[in-house]
This record gives sequence, C-alpha cells and structure tokens, in this order.
Amino acid sequence: MPREAEPSINERAFVLQALEENIRLDGRALDAFRDIDISFGDDYGVADVQLGKTRVLTRISASIVAPYPDRKFDGVFVIITELSPLASPAFEVGRQSDLETHLSRILETTLRRSQAISTESLCLVAGQKVWSLRADIHILSHCGNLVTAASLATLAALRQYRIPDTSIKGGELTVYTPLERDPIPLALLHHPLCITLNYFENGEKMIVDATLQEQQCSEGEVVVAANPQGEVCLVQKGGGGEVDALVLLRAVDMAVGKVRELGKLVDRALEKDSKMRDKGGISAELSAENER
Amino acid sequence: MASKTLVLPGETISPDILPTPTNPNLLLKLGPGLRHVPPSTITSTIAGPLCIDQKKNAIWVENNSGRYIPQPNDLIIATVHHSSTDFYSCSITPHTTFPQLPQLAFEGATKKTRPQLNSGSLIYARVLTASKHTDPEIVCYNPSTGKSEGMGELKGGMVFDISLGLARRVLMAKQREDGGIAVLEEIAENVAFEVAVGRNGKVWVKSGGVKETLLVGRALQEADVQGLGVEEQVKLVRKMIRQV
Repeated sequence: MPREAEPSINERAFVLQALEENIRLDGRALDAFRDIDISFGDDYGVADVQLGKTRVLTRISASIVAPYPDRKFDGVFVIITELSPLASPAFEVGRQSDLETHLSRILETTLRRSQAISTESLCLVAGQKVWSLRADIHILSHCGNLVTAASLATLAALRQYRIPDTSIKGGELTVYTPLERDPIPLALLHHPLCITLNYFENGEKMIVDATLQEQQCSEGEVVVAANPQGEVCLVQKGGGGEVDALVLLRAVDMAVGKVRELGKLVDRALEKDSKMRDKGGISAELSAENER
Repeated sequence: MASKTLVLPGETISPDILPTPTNPNLLLKLGPGLRHVPPSTITSTIAGPLCIDQKKNAIWVENNSGRYIPQPNDLIIATVHHSSTDFYSCSITPHTTFPQLPQLAFEGATKKTRPQLNSGSLIYARVLTASKHTDPEIVCYNPSTGKSEGMGELKGGMVFDISLGLARRVLMAKQREDGGIAVLEEIAENVAFEVAVGRNGKVWVKSGGVKETLLVGRALQEADVQGLGVEEQVKLVRKMIRQV
C-alpha cells in the first residue's frame, strides 16, 4: 500500500531543535543546495538531474498535429509528470496523488502559462499543422525538493532540444530529417526555474532545498518560480501554517537570488554538452586524418 | 570461525569447501543466499562473500541488500503508527504491513500498569513471529527471560538510516574484529552517547547536544556509504571530532 514513512516524534523534535541552532542534518547552510548534477542523453532533449538523492529525468519529443480550433496559430505544449513506485514507497502506479497534482500544476504555470516557449513559433501551417511538444518528466528517486529538480530537468531539456527544421513552399510543408538539415533549437522567451522554500518557527527561518525529512517536519512551504532576469512567474503557498506577508516577500527575494545561481549551472552544463557534441564543422569533415 | 570466498549467482558450491562437522549427526545449515537443489547440489543465488562457520556448521552468503524482511529474534527499531484495542500497530519499514505489538508485551505490564505509547513514538523491540502470510508480531521483552533488556520506548535522541549490512555488523558481539566497525568505540573515547541499533537499518543515537548526536549518526553513515575499513574509520572519526 502506498505509505510514506512519517517521521517519529523523536526525529521531528531533533530536526526542529537542530534548526533552532541553525544546524541542518547534513551540515549545509540554511540556503545551500545539495550537490546538483545535470547530464544529457545521447538524443537531443533528454536531461537527467540529480539533486542530492533526488533524481528526475525529462524527455522532450515533438510531433505534428492539427491545432485546437480556437487557437489556430498556436502550437501545443504538454507536460506529463510520472511518479512511479520506483521513486518512493508513497507512490502508486496510475493513481494521481496530491504531490503529483501539486507538481504538475506548478510546472504548467511556470513553463506554459508564463509563455516560456513561444507557442506561436511552433505553428507550421496556420489552422492545419502545428508542432505538439511533449515533456515527459519521470521522477526516479524522491528525497525532497521534487519541484526544483523537475523544473531544472525540464528547462535543461527544453534548452538542449533540437526540433526538426521545416520549410513551406507554395502551401506544401516539408519537414527535414537531421541528415538533410540540422535541427534547430526551440524559441524560448525566458528561462524560468522553481525554488521551494520550507519555513519553520512561524516563518522566521526559511531553508532552501529541504530533504524529505526536513520537508515533513516543516510548518509549510512556499514555491517561487522566477527567471534569472528577476521576473517572478509564480508564488504559491498551498496550506501550511500562517505567515506574515513580509515572510513571503523575503522568500521571493531569496528565491530570485537562487534562480540566478541555478541558471548559471544550467548554462554551464549546456556549454559542456555542446562542446562534446561539436564535431568541428566543415573543416573536420573534410580532413583526411584518421582517429587513432 | 568464518572464512570467506567470493561467489556469484548460480555458482555451485564445491563440496570440499563445505565444513566437516565434528558431530556427524549435526546437519549443515543453509543461510540466506543459498539454495539446495536435491540431492546434493548447493547453489548461490546472490553475489557476495561466502561465509562458513565451522562451530555452528552453517554456510551463508553475506549481502547488503536494500529491504528489511522481519526474521524472528531480530532486534528492531519501530515507530508506533496507531493503537487499537489490544495492540499497537507499528511501522518497521515503509514497504511492509504493520507488525503488531501487544499492549501487554512489556516487562511487568498488567492491564493497569502498562506504558501508554503515542502515535509516532519510537520503540526498541524484538520480532517474535514473522511469516509470509500473517502480520509480524513484535514484543518489548525477551521471551525466554521475560526481562526488558533495554527494549521499550526510546525517548529523545535521533534516528539515522544505515544499510542492512552495517546494522548486522554493528550488532555483532565483537564489532572491531568480526564486523570491522571501529566508529562507535572511537567516538566513545571522546563523547558520551547512547546507541540502539535496529536490524531494519535504523540506529537511534542520544547524546548531550545536537552536534554530538549528529557526529555519531553521520560517522556511521559515512562509514557505511564509503565502505571504510577500520583504520579509515578511525581517521574519519578523529577528523569529525576536531571539527566539532
């Protein structure tokens, strides 16, 4: 049966007491992230993010469909989250838990409603053919802070994905295979990321990147989505103990700073990946030297 | 005494490694990780070092597997989930059903003088019965002597998760020689603390302050995760003590 291990009274008391002394169980600072590792797969558009023991894999795929009749000029972008029992004993196959609703709603708002992807750029033939982009997010291991890990993985995958190039000649749409023409990157208007902050002591203490244990012992959490330019896309506080409005403002401040940090991490990972894939261009292809 | 060779799944154990019992009537006991294929073949089902005990005439394969399966006479740390009329339902691992702890299963408990456990309390208990078809049963006293021997409710302190293999090694009588765990002895020279180790991969630590408790817990977890030998464990402990 799906059941998450709830912390015992002793654990809860210990975590709260340690936080009163500003100590976290793994020795991090209150606003420090765990080790983040972003890696990409062989195909374009597959990103694997490890945030401590939490692990999320996102895959982007595209297909051509007819647009919605009331949105003739917009493409389709769907985000599908999958929490499998592999990630945690609390998840069950096929049943949508609260956590899954929470996660998919936040990612929808952050990436779709904030127009991170220009859906108009996905339009091929108005009213007849548009790209349908699909982001499949697989949660492989749940150890706290799924929202940040999932948003990191999805953004990294979107930025790395290459969609096939197309051209229209006299009403005829041609989609080029990767051999005919290099696929092109997606048109991303901005790069939003989500940060979850858990608060304790009526909002006096906020921690970033809580582990599962810290999350279970916290009084509540605030999710803030923003981009590295400082524009806030989403502030969500779903339940939890009541806090002052100033606490929310502090949370937004903290989150914006952290998003900038994370944005740089994603930039670096993408650079490394593009260097690995770079085959050197025409001069490398024309060279007759053998690899030894 | 135990001697080790490495086996892979599917390997047949050759008869010359098998121990020769001093008492010819004593049967050879097969422990976890081995399967008997009649009439006389023994194959291993998991990868790991094969351990042979001459005295008890037993062989088994050591493994560090992930999920704990309750076995009778194991000492475990359980969390009370809820209580019903005659017993408490406790949680040992998040994957299995709740074992039952009878409310009178404490030393010297009668209907009027039994301990009241709240939902979420930690207890140190012994597995009485465990089978595939029924809920396991746990008790807080030693069934043969009737004494509590340290079992019962654990107050304060903190619980840390460790692997099953490390839990088994720490529970051995001679930690340093047989199990290769020197962490607890090293820390005990500098810090006062109390420990209770559950075979389900949980360690309860209680010490003076948050930092000391964290030191013990994290030292054990690091020794586990990095697979440190005895000297490396001593070095790790000395480094961590200096940081506190």
